[in-house]
Amino acid sequence: MPRRGLLAATALLGGAGLLWAASPVPAAKAPAVPKRVVSINLCADQLVLALADRSQIAGLTKNATDREMSGEALAARGIPLLSNSAEQILAIEPDLVVGMPASRSAALAALPQQDYPLLDLNTANTLEEIHTSIRQTATAVGHPARGDALIARMQSELAGLPKPGKGRVAAYYQRRGYMTGTGTLIDELMTRVGLVNLAGKLGKPPLSQLSLEEMVAAQPDFLIVESATDTVIDQGSEMLHHPALKDISRISVPQAWTVCGSPAYTQAARSLAEQIARIGSKAS
Amino acid sequence: MTLPRWSLIAALSLLTLVAAIASLLFGAVDLSVARLIAAATGDGDKVASIILFDLRLPRTVLALAVGAMLGLAGAALQGYLRNPLAEPSVLGTSNAAALGGVAAIYFGLADIHPIVLPLLATGGALVSLALLVALAGQAESPLTLILAGIAVGTLAVAGTSLALNLSPNPFAAMEIMTWLLGSLENRSFDHVWIALPCIAIGTAMLLWNDRALDALTLGEDAAQALGTDLKRTRLRLLLGTAIGVGGAVAVAGAIGFVGLIVPHLIRPLTDRSPSAILLPSAIGGAALLTLADLGVRIIPSTNELKLGVVTAFLGVPVFLVHLMRERRLW
Repeated sequence: MPRRGLLAATALLGGAGLLWAASPVPAAKAPAVPKRVVSINLCADQLVLALADRSQIAGLTKNATDREMSGEALAARGIPLLSNSAEQILAIEPDLVVGMPASRSAALAALPQQDYPLLDLNTANTLEEIHTSIRQTATAVGHPARGDALIARMQSELAGLPKPGKGRVAAYYQRRGYMTGTGTLIDELMTRVGLVNLAGKLGKPPLSQLSLEEMVAAQPDFLIVESATDTVIDQGSEMLHHPALKDISRISVPQAWTVCGSPAYTQAARSLAEQIARIGSKAS
Repeated sequence: MTLPRWSLIAALSLLTLVAAIASLLFGAVDLSVARLIAAATGDGDKVASIILFDLRLPRTVLALAVGAMLGLAGAALQGYLRNPLAEPSVLGTSNAAALGGVAAIYFGLADIHPIVLPLLATGGALVSLALLVALAGQAESPLTLILAGIAVGTLAVAGTSLALNLSPNPFAAMEIMTWLLGSLENRSFDHVWIALPCIAIGTAMLLWNDRALDALTLGEDAAQALGTDLKRTRLRLLLGTAIGVGGAVAVAGAIGFVGLIVPHLIRPLTDRSPSAILLPSAIGGAALLTLADLGVRIIPSTNELKLGVVTAFLGVPVFLVHLMRERRLW
């Protein structure tokens, strides 16, 4: 199974950095209900799958069916997967291209004469931004009511979510010692369940590298790891299984829920809260 | 300058001891000596004891053992092949062992049993040595052997890259770098138990050859006349190198040039007979690699430097000096 969490995270961060430079969407106007929607971003895939009719979707990214990476992987089966090539997009003649942002896509830049309607989504690093992306996508694919319903469902799922973290410190520790910092979706999830991000405490940037020694010295109450690294598959994941970390409680979350700002946010939040509560009851 | 054998060994052992202690004292986290001593005597805080016993101690033990193995293998190969440039990484043995290790880990074979990893690494090393002897064992010019080694090593590197690119691992580039340049970062006692038995067997088999290596300086016929069993000597040497280097590479990656530098530093201090440099080269290799590993931890860099980078900076000048000497013979 491919595991591209770090790559995806880095790409998202890079994307966020580019956003300020993105010009306002020019392009043609999309029909009220587009019939050939193409998504050119893994995170956009999940929103399109959740909000558009299957018959409307003409193409998704090649990772859309990867269960490790996408929370909507099962729903994506059977839909054509594109390898981000201009030729494939040209052949589809989409009437809506969704990306993050779509206007900076290299594949579309190769087709300067084509004037496809574009939807530029921002990288969502908070629940509020996820809701914004959902509204934008729902409107663009012609089903605004579905967007409102999805947001309402997410809100009801999050209502009454306990905060079992009680101010304890957690580190989101990835293969080769990369640690996720503040201003990220992970950080927001931690805050939501009452945890304090170790990266914030140490003043680290959104993505930093922390050695095993530094992690042992910091002694967080929890390590949050991607469930893909639960088994040792290479030297990068082997590091997370070092005996020096065995005394730190471990929470494992599929990165499919956290790598994108997507409806799976609620699953991630609930899973975190449940696992913290379980560890808490075991310890006491 | 020739030193008495015991004083050379004592001096090298002292250097190694200093290097090992320094390796326990320095790391990513600054711990005071008092805190480390408290941890070592069993009444320290939890953080200090975990850092000392779970992180720094296995790393130091591995640096000593892997360094000793590489230094000894270099000395033995130089003696047996009568070639000053022979050593595991120049001859491609380390890279072939890395290929075996990569195959064991990335195709899931290492999960079957812990012994599979060193076994495949040893297998890779053995195949490369056999290939080398077949290609250039009887060659007149010492350079033929080095060229054959470069060919074998290049093939192994290409195989390693191919195996990693074919494996379903999107982080292949990072993994390739670690395997080809070597690192002792984040090693634990699990790795020590994989490497140490192999290195012990390899060391024993190579040290056993001392008399035969001395006899071989007179040429194969003379050595045979002196009662050396050439076939057995060769078998011990190839197996010892393969098993020891295989175990070392399985946990540390292919660290280059240790086996080249150390014998050349040691030789002028001895009577220059192959047997006289075997044990000192092992001790010197342990000191050198431990110091190099200390270096990668202390040199400030965003990612920790790979060990092979440091040893290459030290080793390539030695290699070139000897290559220049060879050229005069052309």
